[in-house]
Amino acid sequence: MLAFLFILFAGMAVSCALAMVAQRNPLYSAISLIGVFVSLACLYIMLAAPFIAAVQVIVYAGAIMVLVVFVIMLLNVEHEERRAPRLKFLVPVAVVLAAVLIAEVAFILVTVRDFGAPVSNVGLTHSIGSSLFTIYLLPFEITSILLLMAMVGAMTLARRGGLLSANARVVPGSQQLPLSIVDPRAEPDDLRVVETDTTDEAARLLGVEGVRDQSKRD
Amino acid sequence: MEPQLSWYLALSAVLFTIGVTGVIIKRNIIAMFMCIELMLNAVNLTFVAFASFFQDVTGQLFVFIVMTVAAAEAAVGLGIIIAMFRNRETLDVDDASILKL
Repeated sequence: MLAFLFILFAGMAVSCALAMVAQRNPLYSAISLIGVFVSLACLYIMLAAPFIAAVQVIVYAGAIMVLVVFVIMLLNVEHEERRAPRLKFLVPVAVVLAAVLIAEVAFILVTVRDFGAPVSNVGLTHSIGSSLFTIYLLPFEITSILLLMAMVGAMTLARRGGLLSANARVVPGSQQLPLSIVDPRAEPDDLRVVETDTTDEAARLLGVEGVRDQSKRD
Repeated sequence: MEPQLSWYLALSAVLFTIGVTGVIIKRNIIAMFMCIELMLNAVNLTFVAFASFFQDVTGQLFVFIVMTVAAAEAAVGLGIIIAMFRNRETLDVDDASILKL
């Protein structure tokens, strides 16, 4: 039985991976990759690692692949014209399949009560959490620093414009600006105050016009 | 017949090889990115298989950290892809042969 399940999920994983490499449309590749992730999650459950399986589905198939699909659709890579929706005759089949799925889930929820004791506690959330916060605390903290760096890096890379913030030029009316707003290279505690109407004027008064020009590269 | 450890290792090797092949033959940078994710998952499968057969939780913790690294890689990698597309109007890596964006 387990061997049959292994062959089933391994076949699904390999075929989805091959489909991912063979596809030319990146969106179809992403969907095939989600198939690989779900098959691997099933294999993790067979290996008595339910926590890793859940994280695999939530983080990989959920978060990361949604991000990838979002970028694919944002960049609109395939320049194909829109076609009329095909396969309309499959809509009733989809409805029937959804009804079967709901019936299966209801059957399981109603009839199956005892899931049986787990064979070992290695893959359970308790053992993973207690290890993660005791002997593996240092890797955990390093990982948090890595995530912070990735967050800052992603924002820096994806941001338009340069050193000045995009809002700096649209504040209306007379204003008093500390030097650090107009010139990012200035010391934060440089409190020389200038009174201007626009940021450009402030930059001219402070003699930091080069900053504005740098911000226009893009 | 129970699945053996070697079965999982063979499956992991096959998936990793498919990922390497994809990175080599693909020209779309997003497709290459997804092949890298596939390679990471193949390694994760090896870790979980060893953790399960040796009854040791360390492998699963390593998988947890690899997933975090993959998430960070996704954020930074997709940021690079967006910046590259904005400056070059293409996702073909053959057109991006210099390090400057």
